Amino acid sequence: MKTRRTVGIVDYGVGNHVSVWRAMHALGYRCRVTEEPAVLDGTDVILLPGVGAFPPAMRAIESKGLVEYLRSQARSGKPFLGICLGMQLMADASSEFGITAGLGLIPGRVEPLRQAAWHIGWNTFEAVGGDSLLRRIDGQSVYFNHSFVFDAPSEYCVGVARLERPFCVAVRRDNVVGLQFHPEKSQAAGRQALRSVIDGLCDA
Amino acid sequence: MLKKRLVGVITVRGGWAVQSFGYRRWLPLGRPEVLAQNLDRWGVDEILVQAVDRSASRAGPDFELLDRLGRIGLSSPLIYGGGIASVSDAARVVQSAADRVVVDALMHDDAEEVRRISGHLGAQAVIGALPLAVHEGGLRWLDHRTGREGELRPAIVELFRLGIASEALVIDWRHEGSAGAFDERLLESFPVPEVPLIAFGGLSEARQIRSVLGSARVAAAAIGNFLNYSEHAVQRYRQQLAGVPVRPATFSSAGQP
Repeated sequence: MKTRRTVGIVDYGVGNHVSVWRAMHALGYRCRVTEEPAVLDGTDVILLPGVGAFPPAMRAIESKGLVEYLRSQARSGKPFLGICLGMQLMADASSEFGITAGLGLIPGRVEPLRQAAWHIGWNTFEAVGGDSLLRRIDGQSVYFNHSFVFDAPSEYCVGVARLERPFCVAVRRDNVVGLQFHPEKSQAAGRQALRSVIDGLCDA
Repeated sequence: MLKKRLVGVITVRGGWAVQSFGYRRWLPLGRPEVLAQNLDRWGVDEILVQAVDRSASRAGPDFELLDRLGRIGLSSPLIYGGGIASVSDAARVVQSAADRVVVDALMHDDAEEVRRISGHLGAQAVIGALPLAVHEGGLRWLDHRTGREGELRPAIVELFRLGIASEALVIDWRHEGSAGAFDERLLESFPVPEVPLIAFGGLSEARQIRSVLGSARVAAAAIGNFLNYSEHAVQRYRQQLAGVPVRPATFSSAGQP
C-alpha cells in the first residue's frame, strides 16, 4: 500500500497557512505546519508559503534561524515548493522596499511588474521549456495576487502569464519549484498543479 | 489574458448571512459558511464576505466567522470586510482565512492606518470600499454608520491615486438588492481612472454585467443576492457573457482535480 506523503509547511509567522493546509489535506497529503527543522526533516516535501512584502518575510525567516536550514534542504535534493511570496523568497534578491537578499535557491531577482501596478485575478498559465510538472495546467486559468515578479534566467522559467507581454510565473531548478500564483485558491486547476508538482518531485 | 472577475458577495449581519435591500432591509439567508461553500463549489472567481454591522458596533472583525470559513478549506480566493480598524486586525484577518481585506469605515476614520495596512500586507491585498451615489452631477460618499453622505474627500482620492489600495469597491448602496439597477455613472465619475474598479449593488442582469465589464476601468462585477437564488448561477452568467473576457462556464465541481 502506498504511504501518504507528508508536506512540511514552513511556519515563519507570515501569511495564511490555513488555506494551504486545507488544500493539501483535500488532496490526501499529511501536513506538518512548523518552524522546527527536526519536524520538517520528517516530511517528504518542504512547502514555503507566504503573502505580503519580501523584506519582512526574509526577516521573519532569519529570526527563526531557518535561512541556512532551508538552503541545505534545497541543496540536499529534497522536494521543495514555494508559493507566491514563498516563490519570490527563493530568488537571489528583491528590490521591494530596497534591496533585500533572498534565499538564493534559484538564480534571479524579484523586480516590480512594470507592465501594470498589480497582477490580480485569474490569468492563463502557459507552461514553457518542456518541463512536464506543469503541463497538466497549461492553458488553464489560475489566481494571481502580486505586484513584483521573479525575473529568472530563461532556463529556470517553466511557466509564464501575459499582460501586454509574457512574464515568468513558475520557476524550477531540479528539486526546487516556485509558483507565483495561488494554487490553493485556484480551484481545480490549482489542485491539479499541487498534485502534479508534489508527486512529480517526489517520484523524480 | 487576465480575466474580468465575477465576485460572489455574502452580506453578514448579526453573524447570519442576509439578503440585503439597500443596506436598509434584511432577510435572513442562513449560515455564511454554507453560502461560501456553495459559491466555492459553483466556481465563482472570488468570494467577498462583508460583515456590515461590525464597524458600527465597534465589534472588530468577525474572527469566529473567519475561523469557520478557514475550516471549510475554500478553493476560491476570499475577501473579507467588516470591523477592520488596525494593522493587527488586518494581519489577523489574513492569517485566519482571507486573501484580501476590504476597508470601509476606516477610510472615514483613519486614512493613515489604511496606509499602514497596505505597507504591511501589500497594496494588492487591500481594497477600499466606497458606498457612493450620484447627486447633482457629483459623487456623494456614504458613511453607513451614520447614514450621512458627504463628498469624497481629497485624502481618500489620494489613497487610490497613490496605489495604497489596489482596487476600489464601488458600491451603489441605494440600488443594492434591486434587480438591474446599478448606476453606471458611478464608474464613469470615479475620480482616479487608473484604479481598477469592482462594481457592486444592483447588478443582476447579464446585459448590465456585460455593460459594466465592458468598461476598461472595471476589473470585476460583484453580485450578492442574485448568485444565491439558484445553483450554478455564476456559470449561467458566464454562458451569457460570451465575448466578455471572463473564465468560461464549467458545470463540473470546482473542488476536485
